[in-house]
Amino acid sequence: MRPRLSPVDLELFANRLIGVADEMGVVLQAAGFSPNIKERRDFSCALFDPRGAMVAHAAHIPVHLGSTPLSVRAAIQQTRMEDGDIVILNDPYAGGTHLPDVTLVAPVFLTDGRKPVAFVADRAHHADIGGASPGSMALTTDIHQEGFRIPPVHLCRNGAFVRDTLELFLANTRVREERLGDLDAQVAALKAGAARIRDLMTRFGVTAVAQAMQELQDYSARLVAAFFAELPAGEWKAQDVLDDDGAGGTDIIIKAAIRRKGTRLEVDFDGSSPQVRGPLNANLAVTTSAVFYVIACLAGRRVPANSGMMTRVKIRAPQGSVVNCKYPSAVAGGNVETSQRIVDVLLRAFATALPGKVPAASCGTMTNVALGGFDPFRQRYFSYYETVGGGAGAGPDRAGANAMQTHMTNTWNTPVETLEAYYPLRVRRYAVRRASGGEGLHRGGDGIEREIEALAETQLTLLAERRDRGPYGLEGGGEGKAGCDRCTRAGSDRAMQIPAKVSLLLQPGDRVEVATPGGGGWGNALGTTSHAAGNRTRHKNEERSVVKTKRKRA
Amino acid sequence: MAPPRHNQIVVGVDTGGTFTDIVYRDGGIRGRIKLLSTPDDPARAVLEGLAKLFADRRPDLLTYGTTVATNAMLERRGARTVLVTTAGFEDVLEIGRQARPDLYDLEPIRPEPLIPASRRLGVAERMLFDASVETVLSDDECRRITQAVKEAGPEAIAVCLLHSTVNASHELRLGRALKDLGVPITLSHALSPLAGEYERCSTASANAFVQPKVSTHIRRLAQRSGVGRLRVMQSNGGTIGAETAGREPVRTMLSGPAGGVTGAIEVATRVGLRRIVTLDMGGTSTDVAFVDGKAPRRSVTEIGGLPLGVPCIDIHTVGAGGGSIASIDAGGALRVGPESAGADPGPACYGRGDLPTVTDANAVLGRLQPRHFLGGEMALDVERARAVMKKLARVIGATSAEQAAAGILRVVEGNMERAIRAITVQRGEDPRSCVLVAFGGAAGLHACGLADEVGFREVLIPIDPGLLSAQGVLDGRVTMDGIQPLRAVDPSFDLLTRRARGPASAIRREIAREGIAERRIRVTTMLRARYLGQSLEIEIPLTRSWRRHFGAAHEKLYHSHAPARPVEVVSLRLTGCGEDARPIVQLLQPSQAPRIRRPVVEDQVDVFVKGRHMAVPTYRRDSLRAGTRLRGPAVIIEYSSTTWVDPDFDAVVDEAGNLRLHRARNKGGRS
Repeated sequence: MRPRLSPVDLELFANRLIGVADEMGVVLQAAGFSPNIKERRDFSCALFDPRGAMVAHAAHIPVHLGSTPLSVRAAIQQTRMEDGDIVILNDPYAGGTHLPDVTLVAPVFLTDGRKPVAFVADRAHHADIGGASPGSMALTTDIHQEGFRIPPVHLCRNGAFVRDTLELFLANTRVREERLGDLDAQVAALKAGAARIRDLMTRFGVTAVAQAMQELQDYSARLVAAFFAELPAGEWKAQDVLDDDGAGGTDIIIKAAIRRKGTRLEVDFDGSSPQVRGPLNANLAVTTSAVFYVIACLAGRRVPANSGMMTRVKIRAPQGSVVNCKYPSAVAGGNVETSQRIVDVLLRAFATALPGKVPAASCGTMTNVALGGFDPFRQRYFSYYETVGGGAGAGPDRAGANAMQTHMTNTWNTPVETLEAYYPLRVRRYAVRRASGGEGLHRGGDGIEREIEALAETQLTLLAERRDRGPYGLEGGGEGKAGCDRCTRAGSDRAMQIPAKVSLLLQPGDRVEVATPGGGGWGNALGTTSHAAGNRTRHKNEERSVVKTKRKRA
Repeated sequence: MAPPRHNQIVVGVDTGGTFTDIVYRDGGIRGRIKLLSTPDDPARAVLEGLAKLFADRRPDLLTYGTTVATNAMLERRGARTVLVTTAGFEDVLEIGRQARPDLYDLEPIRPEPLIPASRRLGVAERMLFDASVETVLSDDECRRITQAVKEAGPEAIAVCLLHSTVNASHELRLGRALKDLGVPITLSHALSPLAGEYERCSTASANAFVQPKVSTHIRRLAQRSGVGRLRVMQSNGGTIGAETAGREPVRTMLSGPAGGVTGAIEVATRVGLRRIVTLDMGGTSTDVAFVDGKAPRRSVTEIGGLPLGVPCIDIHTVGAGGGSIASIDAGGALRVGPESAGADPGPACYGRGDLPTVTDANAVLGRLQPRHFLGGEMALDVERARAVMKKLARVIGATSAEQAAAGILRVVEGNMERAIRAITVQRGEDPRSCVLVAFGGAAGLHACGLADEVGFREVLIPIDPGLLSAQGVLDGRVTMDGIQPLRAVDPSFDLLTRRARGPASAIRREIAREGIAERRIRVTTMLRARYLGQSLEIEIPLTRSWRRHFGAAHEKLYHSHAPARPVEVVSLRLTGCGEDARPIVQLLQPSQAPRIRRPVVEDQVDVFVKGRHMAVPTYRRDSLRAGTRLRGPAVIIEYSSTTWVDPDFDAVVDEAGNLRLHRARNKGGRS
């Protein structure tokens, strides 16, 4: 066996390899066409070793973390990739997460190589992927209504687009030029990534880079193991609910038990609700991402995100449940909403293991707003998608931040000036939702209020959560205020409340306003919270009583 | 006024948190002085220095690098500012881009906005993206908002309305209406013609916030110093006239650091070095930049987490300097900085401070020598430093003052190392292929330690390292940027040159107003273009074959190009550069003296090195001629700085007088 890399070389290679993923992201964003890519940065880029294990993931969108490796594995298993080929996929039942997230995978070959020396992949959220309504976040009951489903197939061969695949894709999605532009950008990012890897291999040698790819995973595995070793022995449980699935089902339970076994961890979702009719189902890729994210947060910011992190974690999620759904259930909101609730539940369980170290719940929703239709001013179809941030949960050190993207997403907003230049929409108000954070020694962060007016007939799809009950507080802190959404018809000055999961046809002049939840508060407002051992018991009791209430509700 | 002639006095000033550095050229003569800064009124130190240097003579030209703007922003000690913005969007400044800075931080923090919610006022008006007006700004509304602004008691006003970059009429109208309040007004479209309301609003707010302080300061300095002409260094490495700087101080936010990088590039270029990392360590902070031939620029930078949309050199700053205070944090770890003792009270060894700083640690270890500090002009109270260090030693459980001092240095060098990695390794550049150019008053004391940790192949310490920023400021050229928004699809070359003509002559006029001869002004025009519908533009020079260049640049950056796709030229960016006539003088000390290869030991001093006391020779920098070689350990003393040569290092003086430090071959440090 070759000697281990020195600490300096390990650090240098870690940054070089993560740098490849970062650089791919820079290219994808710059070359992207839709505001969803160029302004909101709703994409991820990653680098893989020849076996398909993830080596580096640029710090883009956490919900893509655990799922991208499954896409690459599916592409490797189900296709044969030669030099210059690119495989496209989005099928949640073959390596994808939800249909709008379109993943491209390319092998990296050296000039004289017969086997790939690495893989690169990027995943971009396309603002439309067909289906029942523009924005492809429709309230449906099976995958086929949600949009165009793509198993791993060739998008490019020998460096050129495969016409059949491309035309089929474009014919089944809305806003052709935008789709084409974003796909072009995804291809450009893969080429940039492949070129950088070839550079590295030329500069430092193939074996050295290959070794670094493996050691970077080992390094992450060691850091995670060290974190697990610090946890007390035992089992910690928590549960929470999703408001509803948009198709009649309410109080959908997410339940987790975390067990430490030496330097290994088992995360068991036994007891979670069966898969639901509405589009709130998460497949295993999404659930894995949530687990990945929570571990990355708790283990410290210095753990490079790669497959090494997960080698010591065993996830048990019952087949056919809302956290590991089966074909043909609808999944659009599993990725964006259920993933947030899984994080809430996992953090709550960890709060019992690490009392006084875990923050209260953040807003717990991405508040997805999709708007689309025919734009009479520009004489073209449009499809716009955004997620709206909320309040961050307060923690042991400080109050929660206001008006921010939390946990499983970190997309930027589309500047009002850009949004209005592209779409028949006008933003009327964009403000902090004052006093929506939970009370406490440290207050939860405040949510956001955002009001958009339709200038043309527009199909609205809203998919949001935490509208029935606000995000939980911890250590005696209060709940954040639940979200609330309203619609004001043109000519009326009365705003009517609308369901959090709804599809509505807006007429010109109609306005829709979303108000997102505040974060939970942390600590008793009187300042009596302490981390003394005595309090741990109180905390556990509190936990149990919450669980009881939830059962009653369910 | 006539432009500065060869026999005139030309001065460069760099005001830092701790020291004010002045360098000058008087005909063929060069000189310098270093004084303690006077943070309550930074002009006082400058005036004192000028009086010492020139008595009754007045400099013809003074170029000024100042931290007044940056400090006001970082310390949130600016004007009571009111923001006027489109009603419904008062919180844009607080929401920002909604993203959190660190993906895996469970308790994310965002910096407080410079203007609190209570002073962000909405005005009823609405402009649209196509320059049309949806809601006219009425006379009544103008009066109402003027009254509301007045009641908020502003010392400065920022105005940022939606879509003002495509139609500025409402901003201009508010500018006129609010003028009667008699406080400075910043209009966002004039300062930063960037699309994107948040970044523009942040830039305008920061400008307004620091403006009263900066403009008063500059005006007073001009009056009291009686200089013929005053210019200010900008963040982009060029200078501007005092009046422009007072109006748009946000352009000077990184003026001192930009002067340092400019100076370091000059020094490195002269001895044929391209790839360097600049390390500028002052009293309160350290600036690092990676340079490959020229200084990298950025169009948006962040100061204290807030975006500023004005051009600047790409510099990374950490709160670690000579005055950084060492303390124990809640978790029991030894922290150094970002709090600084500054100039007042200053480090303990300056005679007034009571808290241990990095400078005190160097004094206690013997690396800083009391008799030679600032050429003996300033006394160093080592006993006072030792007393505070003993106190710290007790708290952290160190056995001696020296042990505690050594701990401080390890921590502060770790902080700097992290900053260097951020600008090199994290961007795919290997610092081991770079030369570290260390300057600023304190860098010479830490250069060897850093070279060891990071693995630089060599360290270069220029002559007068403590004054290099001031030298860079003195050498700065008058630079003006202009942006001409265009938004034309596949425009002809003729159209582009026509559209560039107006702004180009405006820039020429403005630079000429700085007393620069027309033939010494050069204006270059770049165009910023993208494929129609794309997000970011690529910048290429305006030439007849610009389309072909665009395709090539796109291919290089994004590995694709589409000759048939329409190209949109978003804007023209013009940069005018004007150079004063200057005498051809050797800026560095010429090595006229015969080559004396054996250095003259001036003294033997006691230095605490790696756990023990050693007798270490000291040398005077000005006694070392080109070709001189000496072995570590050694202390090399000069007027503005002290260099510590580790036992594992050798030092050689190159032909330009720079000190070049290398790890000694037979001793091998960490790689």
